[in-house]
Amino acid sequence: MKRLSLVLALVLCLAAGFGCAKKQQAEPGYDDGMSSEMNAAIQQITDGRVYFAFDKFSILPEGKEVLKNKAELMKKFPSIRVRIEGNCDERGTQEYNLALGERRAHAAYEFLTSLGVNPSQMETISYGKENPAVQGSGEAVWQQNRRDDFRVTAH
Amino acid sequence: MKKAIVIFCAFFVFAMSGRALAALRVDIYGPGQNVVSLALAAPLRGQHVEASDMGRGLQSLVEQNLSFLPFMRLTDPKAVLGGTVMDGAEPPALDFKRFQLAGADLLVTSFWPDGDAGTKTVQMRAFETNTGGRLFGKEYSKVTKKDLPEVADRFCADLLEALTGNGAFFRSTIAFVKATGKMQANVWLTKPTGRDLRQITNMKGQAMSPSWSPDGRFIVFTHIDPKSHALGVWDSSSKKVSRIRFPSNVVIGPSFTPGNKVAVALSNGKYPAIFLLNHAFQKERVLEQGSSINVSPSFDKSGTKMAFTSSRLGGPQIFMKDLGSGSVSRVSMNGGYNTEPNISPDGTLVTYSRMTEYGNRIFVQDMVTGEERQVSFGPGSDEQPSFCADSYFIAFSSSRGGSRGIYLTTRHGGDAKKIPTGGGAAQFPRWGLGGEKK
Repeated sequence: MKRLSLVLALVLCLAAGFGCAKKQQAEPGYDDGMSSEMNAAIQQITDGRVYFAFDKFSILPEGKEVLKNKAELMKKFPSIRVRIEGNCDERGTQEYNLALGERRAHAAYEFLTSLGVNPSQMETISYGKENPAVQGSGEAVWQQNRRDDFRVTAH
Repeated sequence: MKKAIVIFCAFFVFAMSGRALAALRVDIYGPGQNVVSLALAAPLRGQHVEASDMGRGLQSLVEQNLSFLPFMRLTDPKAVLGGTVMDGAEPPALDFKRFQLAGADLLVTSFWPDGDAGTKTVQMRAFETNTGGRLFGKEYSKVTKKDLPEVADRFCADLLEALTGNGAFFRSTIAFVKATGKMQANVWLTKPTGRDLRQITNMKGQAMSPSWSPDGRFIVFTHIDPKSHALGVWDSSSKKVSRIRFPSNVVIGPSFTPGNKVAVALSNGKYPAIFLLNHAFQKERVLEQGSSINVSPSFDKSGTKMAFTSSRLGGPQIFMKDLGSGSVSRVSMNGGYNTEPNISPDGTLVTYSRMTEYGNRIFVQDMVTGEERQVSFGPGSDEQPSFCADSYFIAFSSSRGGSRGIYLTTRHGGDAKKIPTGGGAAQFPRWGLGGEKK
C-alpha cells in the first residue's frame, strides 16, 4: 500500500511538471489574449506623447485626450507602472528647463490622478532640454521636443 | 599632495634698495578702467647673464597668465631699445628709462641667484618705471620645472593684488561640466588660464551645475541618470563622490551658502522650491517657495542676500531675497526670460542670462545704481555666468565656437577670452578657491 502511494505521488508530480513545462513553453501560434491586450496597452501608453506650448506646463485639449486614453488603460491594467518624463526645447536655460520639465511631468501625473489612476502606478522625472526627441532648431523641431514621454517600467 | 609649500614664498624687504614702495594702482571696479603696460626684463642667473632653462619657462608662463588680464598690455621686447637684458634685477642695475620709452608703466624682473637648472631659488620683483619704486618682491625656493606653473600663478596673484587689491583670479580653480555624449557629462577642474585641467568625477549620466564649498573641500552638483535626479557630492579629501537622492526626484542647481551649507531646488510636492540642507545634506528648511517655479539660488559672501530665478510673474525673472527680513525684490526689469543669476561676492552686482532673438546673452545688474549692462554679445548663445571671488571676472559658457566652451569677460564686458578645456562641450563654470592637485 505504501509502495503504491509513492508511485502514485511520483506519477502526479511528473504530470504536474509536464503541465508546467507545457505552460511555459508557448506553442507556435499560441496567443494569450490577456498578454496581447497588455502589450497593446503598453504600446499605446508609450506611443502617445503630450505636447506643450513654450514655457508652459498646462495640458492642452489634445493632450487631455491622449491622457484620458492612458488613464483607461492604466486603470484596466493596474500592474502597469509608468515613468512620466518631462522635456523642453533647446531655447531655455538648463536649470530653469529642468524645473519646467518637472512641472510638465507633474501636470500629467496630476491629470491622470484626477482621472482615477492610482498614484502608485506613476513616477516622474525631468530631463529638461537634455533629451530632445528631434535634433535641430526651428519651431517645427522645438514643438516636438516640448513634451511628456511615457515609459512603462513594469507590468 | 603636491609639495605645495616646496615653493617657499618670502617677502623681500630689500632694505638695501632704500627706495620707497610704489603706489601704482589700477581701478578695475570703476567705470573708467585704466590700462597699464607691463614689460618683462630678460630673466637673469647672474650679472648680465640670461637664464635659459627654467628662467625662460617661467617667463613664458607669466606672459601667458598676464595675457588674461584685460587691463594689462604686455610690452613687446623688440620695442625696448637696447634690449631687455639688465645688469641686475633691482636698482641701480635697472635702466627704467628704456622701458619707459617703450611705453611700459611696470617692469618685472626675475633672478635665479644659483642658476636655473635643477632645484633652485628665484626672486621676482615688480617696479614702477616712472619712479623706480618697487611694488613688491618675492622669493620662491626649491623650485623645480614642474613647480613653474604654480610659481607663475602665485607671482601673478600677488602682482594682481598689489595693483588692484584682489588677486583671486590666479588663486581660483574653476569647476565645470564636460560632455562626452547625450546625457553623459562629468565634472572637471581647471585654472582660469586653462592649466591644471583634470576630470574629477566618472559617473554614468549627466552632471550639471557644480558649486564649490567656501572652504574648497566639496563640490556639489546635480546628477541625472535615466531614472533619477540626485545631489552629487565630491569630496576633495577622499576623492570620493556620493549620490544623494531625494523623495521628490527633483534636484536642480545646488549652491553652497557662505555658511558651508547647500541650498538647492527640490520639489515641495507641487513646485520646485529652494531648500536649505543641513551639513548631512538633509532638508533643513525652505528658503523660498510658492505656486511658481523657484530655482537657481546664489548667495553673496555675507550670506544675507540670495538671488534666484522665479516664474511668479509668468516668465522667468531674477529676484533678490533679503534672508534677514524675508523681503523679495525684482532684479531683472527688461526682457521676458531672465535666468541663471549669480550674485557678486561683494553683493553689488547680479549677473544673469537673458533670452534674446539672437540667443541668450549675459547681463549685469548694478544693485547700487540700478543700471543694467550687457556684457556678452555672442554669436551663439551665452549662458551660465559666474562671478570670480574678486567680483570682477565673469566666466560663462557659450556656443560661439560651435561646440560649447568656457569664456571669460568682466563686469564691464569687453572681448571674451576662451579658457582652453580640451575636446568636448564644456559648460557650467563655477569659481572656487579649492581643488586638489593631480
